Amino acid sequence: MSVEEQLVETAKQGKLLTHKCTNCGYLHLSTAYYCLKCGSKGFEDVILEGTGTIATYTIITVAPAGFEKYTPYAFVVLQLDNTHLRISGFMAGITTPADLPIGTKAKITGFDDRGIVVEKQ
Amino acid sequence: MTFVEKVCVLGAGSTKYGKLADSIADLTTQASVSAIENAGIDPKEIKASYISNVFGVADKQVHIGPVLMSRLGIPDKPSLTIESACGSGSVSFREAFANVAAGFYDCLLVTGVEKVTHTGTEWTTTYFAYCSDFFYEGQAGASFPGLFATMARAYLTEFKATEEDFARVAVKNHENGILNPKAHMQKKITVEDVMKSPVVASPLKLYDCCPFSDGASSVILCSEKFAKENGGDYIEVIGSGRGGSSAALQGREHLTTIPSTKIAAEAAYKMAGVTPKDIDFAEVHDCFTIAEIIDTEDLGFFEKGKGVVAVREGRTRLNSDISINPSGGLKSKGHPIGATGVGQIVEVFDQLTGNAGQRTVKDAKIGLTHNFGATGASCAVHVFQSV
Repeated sequence: MSVEEQLVETAKQGKLLTHKCTNCGYLHLSTAYYCLKCGSKGFEDVILEGTGTIATYTIITVAPAGFEKYTPYAFVVLQLDNTHLRISGFMAGITTPADLPIGTKAKITGFDDRGIVVEKQ
Repeated sequence: MTFVEKVCVLGAGSTKYGKLADSIADLTTQASVSAIENAGIDPKEIKASYISNVFGVADKQVHIGPVLMSRLGIPDKPSLTIESACGSGSVSFREAFANVAAGFYDCLLVTGVEKVTHTGTEWTTTYFAYCSDFFYEGQAGASFPGLFATMARAYLTEFKATEEDFARVAVKNHENGILNPKAHMQKKITVEDVMKSPVVASPLKLYDCCPFSDGASSVILCSEKFAKENGGDYIEVIGSGRGGSSAALQGREHLTTIPSTKIAAEAAYKMAGVTPKDIDFAEVHDCFTIAEIIDTEDLGFFEKGKGVVAVREGRTRLNSDISINPSGGLKSKGHPIGATGVGQIVEVFDQLTGNAGQRTVKDAKIGLTHNFGATGASCAVHVFQSV
């Protein structure tokens, strides 16, 4: 499986595959091939629960092709618990900012034709 | 860094920006011919061309360079097409600059072009989303207004700012665009108009967004020796910098700053030997209202969080503290993405050679251009000086 396929398969289980540098310990999303901090290439897999808080988001009403049927929906940036990492994702059922205050707890719940799917907890 | 040659802009020209009927090849040629004629040179003096374009495939023409050179009567001269999303124009200019500075060529043509409006809003939105880090962003339904809207939401959360403040950027740039005959949107608007316009990606509304535009812009770039021997008015390129940022917003430490702008600006200021205080006016990348506020902070004109105060107080209007986007910017002049970065340089050339008409920045000697690709994943900044 390619790196992207592995990330997708893990996301389908509601989890997030990450890569920890075996030299310096810095944590990356699993699409990293070299360490951002020390430049070395060895990584070990760390599977995160995919839980976090909403760092920022938007509610999209004018959508790219394939997403018209989902409008309005939120595109969110999730700050993952206990790490510096963030992950982007799709969130359904958000129509006004009152539905999703910054800091709302949320979790990766799957992966489909909407990319990484995130839901409120 | 030691350069063999001082680099100058000797001529500049643009088509009108807007929803245009002409083909991409025709637009490319029209802008190029206007720059050649403005420079007053024989096309055979051009040693090579740098073309910036992103979605040529949408108008059934990629590999535009040789088509342009054939139409200019110089099919034997080399050309190169450069793609760096919405920052293609300035990156293309930078590559040409480096080649003249190094002494490889004494006269180059730099032309940017885009032709997309015929594909319609849905497909243009879709194509533009391909400029994101698609695996993480486009694939999860992010549009470009959506990505900048996440930055806008973060800015509203972090600083004392309102959606009305964002609207003031649009109002100001439309004020300038009315004075620019080449502008796409020559229409006065009010804060209320922006606030009442339909939401595209909250908190951004239609009038917070630049339009999709067609158009082309072109400049002649040459050595100082060539400029003195062959042309009329010219300006000098005194600073050039490039930078990069994590392709996806999620990978950046702060969501309200664009690292590539800071890196490019620092390099350009250093090369030029100037500071932000020395800049008389700037053409900055205002693809969305929030972007202009963030740009003016990252370029060092205002402290972080204070760009919004400057807009509220009118300090970025034409002939105020610092004129930001006298051309009308992407917001009002329009945003044909491959052309935009070159179009900014056309504006600086017109300003510094006294050909900016009613939108002239008074007593301007030093101008800056700032143009980035996607959400600032790539960026180039240039500093110019009148001669």
